[in-house]
Amino acid sequence: MISKTTLPLLRLPPTETSIIAWWQGQPISHEIFLAQVQQVATELPAHRYAFNLCEDRYLFMVAFAAILWREQTNLLPAYRLSTEIQKIAADYPDSYCLTDHPITDLPLPQHLIAVSGTGTLDRTIPEIATAQTAVIVFTSGSTGRPCPHPKTWHSLVTGARLAQQRFQFPQPTSIVATVPPQHMYGLETSILLPLVMGLRIHNSRPFFPQDISQTLMAVPPPRLLITTPIHLKACVQSNLSWPALTMIISATAPLSRSLAAQAETIFSAPVWEIYGCTEAGSLASRHPLESDQWQLYDDFWLSQDETNGCCYVHGDHLFESVRLQDVIAIDDDRHFRLLGRQHDLINIAGKRASLSDLNRQLNEIAGVADGIFIMPAENEEQITRLIALVVAPARDEATILAELAQRLDPAFLPRPLYKGITFAA
Amino acid sequence: MTTASPLELEVAQLIIDAVHLEDINAEEIDPEAPLFREGLRLDSIDALEIALAISRRYGFQLRADGKDNVSIFASLRSLSQHIEKNRVK
Repeated sequence: MISKTTLPLLRLPPTETSIIAWWQGQPISHEIFLAQVQQVATELPAHRYAFNLCEDRYLFMVAFAAILWREQTNLLPAYRLSTEIQKIAADYPDSYCLTDHPITDLPLPQHLIAVSGTGTLDRTIPEIATAQTAVIVFTSGSTGRPCPHPKTWHSLVTGARLAQQRFQFPQPTSIVATVPPQHMYGLETSILLPLVMGLRIHNSRPFFPQDISQTLMAVPPPRLLITTPIHLKACVQSNLSWPALTMIISATAPLSRSLAAQAETIFSAPVWEIYGCTEAGSLASRHPLESDQWQLYDDFWLSQDETNGCCYVHGDHLFESVRLQDVIAIDDDRHFRLLGRQHDLINIAGKRASLSDLNRQLNEIAGVADGIFIMPAENEEQITRLIALVVAPARDEATILAELAQRLDPAFLPRPLYKGITFAA
Repeated sequence: MTTASPLELEVAQLIIDAVHLEDINAEEIDPEAPLFREGLRLDSIDALEIALAISRRYGFQLRADGKDNVSIFASLRSLSQHIEKNRVK
């Protein structure tokens, strides 16, 4: 039950010197941030929906807040491919793109975000309606159309509160994130936690281990690293030294116990995992070195359909109950274990896709008479890539790959793509 | 296709080994062709694996070049030049 009709856009932490972010090498105070959000908000075009396509994390956060302030909704595509964005725009015609860099191959109205370092400092924190649809996050479904997942401001703020309740981040914690802000994991951690839970975010998205190490050293303790198994593995293998961290959080793909152990050794900090999905957001955590079991966040509960074993997660702050895509064993009303993925779903280095959706995309390519993606058996030694088999007499492999590259995230491009006239049964 | 230098051939083989590319030999990689988005169509997952192989073989850590890694990884030639400038082994 929602008791308030509005919630503030920003929550000021109790400390005097309140930094919300580091941007372009400088600390940004909450006051400056608010002034910049207000400036951007007043300049936004009047539409119902805004694609938030900012690449810079801080500008993404300014854009996110400005869009809310104008009572608009952030549209967050699964992939920032022109084809994907245009498909969504066809369903949401009252929209424009808010971006920090001009996008050349996108025939949609674009508004370039511009912030200045100066401006009237404003202490007024806007209130956002709890029922306002703050974002619509899109996933690629098996139907061919991007699938919308709306989130109210209330549900996003609730998610941040539940994470804080679970992890008890000390005030004020500095976050360094390797994940982008436009997917649920990065949105909840690197944008919502700074906005409403008083944490601070470093603007960059460090990639190589050396960059991650340097960025961590650039922020004061206590430090929180938000990352994924693939980056943790790269850090473990890098033989670098690391500054003191309070905690590391990993998500998007399961973390093996051995990698968790190695990471805890090199970082001298506990490694926790978050489990979630785009539909429900983050909903459980575990400490892999202690247990395989996941513990639900407060305010969520699970149910299981006896006839087909499907597991559903429920929460008052969710639009609707969500069917979980993994095969789940419920241990008790707060704990569960993952038994594996349902066969249609693949996960490559944390990026998820539906095999039937990938097959459909492949078969939509002109000249492809028949095509199929296959996910070979995975091993821990290396990243397993998809293979594709295609019957396409009049087109060559390079052309088909080029067409796929227009439609899919690079992680899902087949290695290799085999073309044949017939395949032996 | 321009001729690959000995270092470029060596780096080509390092890429092939690091990301387990099948069906291609080092000599077949055009030194000036793109590595990302076209050409070999490498992605960010590959970039991490290549960075590790480079640090082990040539003794230095790759860092991102500005906003993304496009210019270091623009081609085999640009990557090899970057290695030549920074290698300690």
